[in-house]
Amino acid sequence: MIQNLISMNGYGIFVWSSFAITFFVCGVVYYKTYKTLKKYESEFAKEINELSREQKTSVIENSKIASQVISSYSKTI
Amino acid sequence: MLQKKVKKRASLLATLLLVSILAIFFILQTLNKNILYFKSPTDIKNDQDIHSKKKIRVGGMVKKNSVEIKEQEIKFVITDFKNELMISYSGTVPNLFSEEKGVVAEGKLQDKSFFIADRILAKHDENYMPPELQSIMNNNDK
Amino acid sequence: MFKFFSLSNTFIWIEKLTKFISSIFFILLIVALSFALILSPPDYLQGDSVRIMYVHVPAAWIGLASFSTIALLSLANFIFKIKNIKLITKSIAPIGLMFTCLAIVTGAIWGQPTWGTWWAWDARITSMLVLSLFYIGFILANKLIAQEDKADRVSSLIAIFGFINVPIIKYSVDWWNTLHQPASIKLTGTSTIHSSMLMPLFLMFFVLLLYCALIFLMKYKTEIIRIKKKNLKRL
Repeated sequence: MIQNLISMNGYGIFVWSSFAITFFVCGVVYYKTYKTLKKYESEFAKEINELSREQKTSVIENSKIASQVISSYSKTI
Repeated sequence: MLQKKVKKRASLLATLLLVSILAIFFILQTLNKNILYFKSPTDIKNDQDIHSKKKIRVGGMVKKNSVEIKEQEIKFVITDFKNELMISYSGTVPNLFSEEKGVVAEGKLQDKSFFIADRILAKHDENYMPPELQSIMNNNDK
Repeated sequence: MFKFFSLSNTFIWIEKLTKFISSIFFILLIVALSFALILSPPDYLQGDSVRIMYVHVPAAWIGLASFSTIALLSLANFIFKIKNIKLITKSIAPIGLMFTCLAIVTGAIWGQPTWGTWWAWDARITSMLVLSLFYIGFILANKLIAQEDKADRVSSLIAIFGFINVPIIKYSVDWWNTLHQPASIKLTGTSTIHSSMLMPLFLMFFVLLLYCALIFLMKYKTEIIRIKKKNLKRL
């Protein structure tokens, strides 16, 4: 039964390769997008951390996004 | 002020789109013959200036009980239910090649009713069903 | 109303949605894959190669649907100049391009055993290739044109005019003789795919849509952070 699943009456190579290509490409694109997101997040967090203390607190108070990014960034470290 | 700009952009875009749709329509109309992937037997019959030296593609349904296999050579008739064309081919045919199924042949026309192919492609139709169902349907037909 | 659609509110919504989708994604993926590869029957004519359809058709649908979305949003953007729309279209385009290419590649892999050829210059396949060129044009216009206004305008126009190609793809199989078969699933009338094969098809479509949503949300988040980073000095 397993052998049948792999060979698929001779069509196995076509079926499996098309599924493999699809999911491989999907995986690579997911990884790349994730990496870019993390890169921007960390750059953004760094920039906020470099600000003076007063500015930093005002930024975090004023912007939900900034505080979200900072908190998720500090979690990953 | 803003309203005016919006209107201007919308009308500009509408005209441009209309013009390009018309242009594409006419381009496709003139190219119509070239876009066809294959010619039907009726096209072959009506078309006067078919040069027998040029490679073309013809397609249609393989006629029932017309497939003849002689050693290396396979001969069959394709039909579009109005006209027919005899096709001769030597080599292996795709798995999906069978009677009463679509087929596309690439090769040269010998005369208006005889075609020598050097490549055969099977054309699949839009029906998808499990094999059990197909055999039930066949039994119902009989 | 506007507050609801503000960037910081969307940002929080994105977080929640991402969590929800990723929690159900893998279960659905496994169910869809087992239906597509094991539980669904082979075709009476194509045999097991019919299974390629379960990635090919959803990929083509997603490629077409995302281009249509981009074109409609670009139209709105071109006429009304709404800033946030650009974020959405820029986030959709790469996914659409990826799925269009996947549809072409898996179609070629399907064509070899069924038609007997990898590639045919028939109307459907060629117009699909043209679609991927429009995607590339749209993405490149956004990347290569430094002036933001100009990049906006050029890419919007590419998307709007590229949309003319979409009905051509859809009806290419009816208007011309093509090697590609006509549509099996029609907007009106019954489909010519048996229900035991339709189920895995729609399941795979749904799973790939969820995947698109995940990528889209991540990209959208990236764009929001990019904007916030630019504005940081102004805060």
